[in-house]
Amino acid sequence: MRNKIELMAPAGGFDALQAALDNGADSIYFGVDQLNMRARATMNFTLGDLEEIAERCNERGVKSYLTLNAIIYNHDLSLIKTVINRVKEAGISAIIASDQAVIGYAKSQDVDVHISTQLNVTNIETVKFYSLFANVMVLSRELSLRQVKEICEGVVKEDVRGPNGELVKIEVFGHGALCMAVSGKCYLSLHTTNSSANRGACVQNCRRKYKVIDLEDGHELELDNEYIMSPKDLCTIDFLDQLADTGISVLKIEGRGRAPEYVATTIKCYREAIDSIANGTYSKELVKEWMSQLETVYNRGFWGGYFLGQELGEWTDSSGSKATVKKVFLGKGMHYYSKAKIGQFKIEAQQLKVGDSILITGPTTGVIETTIESMRVEDKDVDIAQRGSEVTFSIDQVIRASDKLYKVVPAEEIND
Amino acid sequence: MVIITHQREKCIGCNYCVELAYDRWRMSKKDGKATLIGGENKKGFHTTRVENEEFDPNKRAADACPVNIIKVKMI
Repeated sequence: MRNKIELMAPAGGFDALQAALDNGADSIYFGVDQLNMRARATMNFTLGDLEEIAERCNERGVKSYLTLNAIIYNHDLSLIKTVINRVKEAGISAIIASDQAVIGYAKSQDVDVHISTQLNVTNIETVKFYSLFANVMVLSRELSLRQVKEICEGVVKEDVRGPNGELVKIEVFGHGALCMAVSGKCYLSLHTTNSSANRGACVQNCRRKYKVIDLEDGHELELDNEYIMSPKDLCTIDFLDQLADTGISVLKIEGRGRAPEYVATTIKCYREAIDSIANGTYSKELVKEWMSQLETVYNRGFWGGYFLGQELGEWTDSSGSKATVKKVFLGKGMHYYSKAKIGQFKIEAQQLKVGDSILITGPTTGVIETTIESMRVEDKDVDIAQRGSEVTFSIDQVIRASDKLYKVVPAEEIND
Repeated sequence: MVIITHQREKCIGCNYCVELAYDRWRMSKKDGKATLIGGENKKGFHTTRVENEEFDPNKRAADACPVNIIKVKMI
C-alpha cells in the first residue's frame, strides 16, 4: 500500500486559508510581503500574520509553508533573514525556496526547505544535489508521467535522503494555471512593463489576445480566435490514479491569486479523489462529477498539462474564466444570532430572492455555500430583499461582520 | 519645484528607481523596499520637494516603476 498523497492548497488570504482547512487540505502554502511569486496580489499576508496562520493550521494538524521564491538581490538579503527567523519563531512548517541565499540561510537556521518550481527540477541528479538542503521538491511542470515516475523510482533506488534522514518527497502541480514559458523563466512581463514575473509581478501578457501581422504585406494572420500564448489550465483529476502510481508524495494546487470558493471547490474535489484512490473507489462516474464541480470555478478550460505527453497547442479560446457559474456581490454580514442560528446581512447591491444560491466568504468564515429557503426583512417573511434592506435567514454556520454575501448565477446569465 | 511621492508600502523592491535616479533613491537593507531620500511619511505616502533639475531622472523612475507607486509632479 502506497503512502497517501499530501494535498497542498494555495492560500492567498485568510478566507482562502480557511476554505482550504475546511475542505480537507493536508498542507497550505502562502506568501508574505514582496519576495514571492504573487507579490503583486494585494491580498498577500504580512509577517505579523504568521502566528495566526500557524495556529489555525496546527489546530487541524495541517502543515504551513511560506513561499520565499523570488529572485533575490543584495538589498533583499537582510529581509530574507528576518522572514526566515520569523518563520522559525512562529512555527511555520517550512519555506519554499529557489535562491541559494534563501536555501543556505534556512539550512543554517534548521528551517525545513522545499525546492520551488522556480528551480525547474527535471532529473534525478538535480534531486540528489538539492537533497543536501531539502526534504521536499516540486518537479518542473513540463515533465511527462513517465519522467515523473523515473525520478520517483530513482529516489528509492538510489536512496536519496534529505536532511531529515528520510527519502526525499517528490511533489507535482496537480491543478491550476500553466505558464507559456518553462515556469518562471518568462521575460514578457519584464520587457513590456518592467514588471518581473520572477519578482512575483507578472502582468500576464500571455493571457491577452494578439494579432500576428506580416510586416511585408500587412496581412493579419488568422489565429482561429485562440489565445496562442495562453495555455489552458492544468487538471489531473481524470488521471489522478496514474499520477499517484508514479510514486509522488505531494500534490500541489496552484492559485494563490484566486478566490476562496475556487480553493474550497478544488480542494474538496481533489480531497475526495485522493481518498477514493486510497480506498479503491476511484471511478469514471466520480471523475465526471468532480469535473463538473471544477468547471464551476475560475478556469481557462482544462487539459492534462505535459503529464500525458499530448501534442502542444492546448491554448485557451477565452480571455478570462470559463467557469460555469459566477458570483455577484450582494452585501455584507451584520450579525449572527447564534442561539436561533440566524444570520443578518445588509443588501448593498442587486436583490436577493428566495431560491437563490448564495456564497458567503470571509477571513474567519472561509467559504459557505447554501440556498435561500426563506428570509425576513423588518420581521416579515419576504420573497425578495431589495437593495438597502437588512435581511435575516437561517444558516447553520456562524457568519460575521467581515463576511461578504454573493449570489451564485449561471455564467451565461451575466453575459446576456 | 518638483514634488515626488512614493507609496512605499506597495513597493516590491525591484530596484528600478535606484538605477534610474540614484541621487534620490536607495534600497533599504532593513525591509528590501525602496526609500525616497528626504521623504517625509504622511500616512504611508512618502513625499519630498526637490529642485527642477531632478525632474527627469525621477520621472524615468516613476515611468519604470512596475507597481506604479511613484508620482513626480512639477509645480
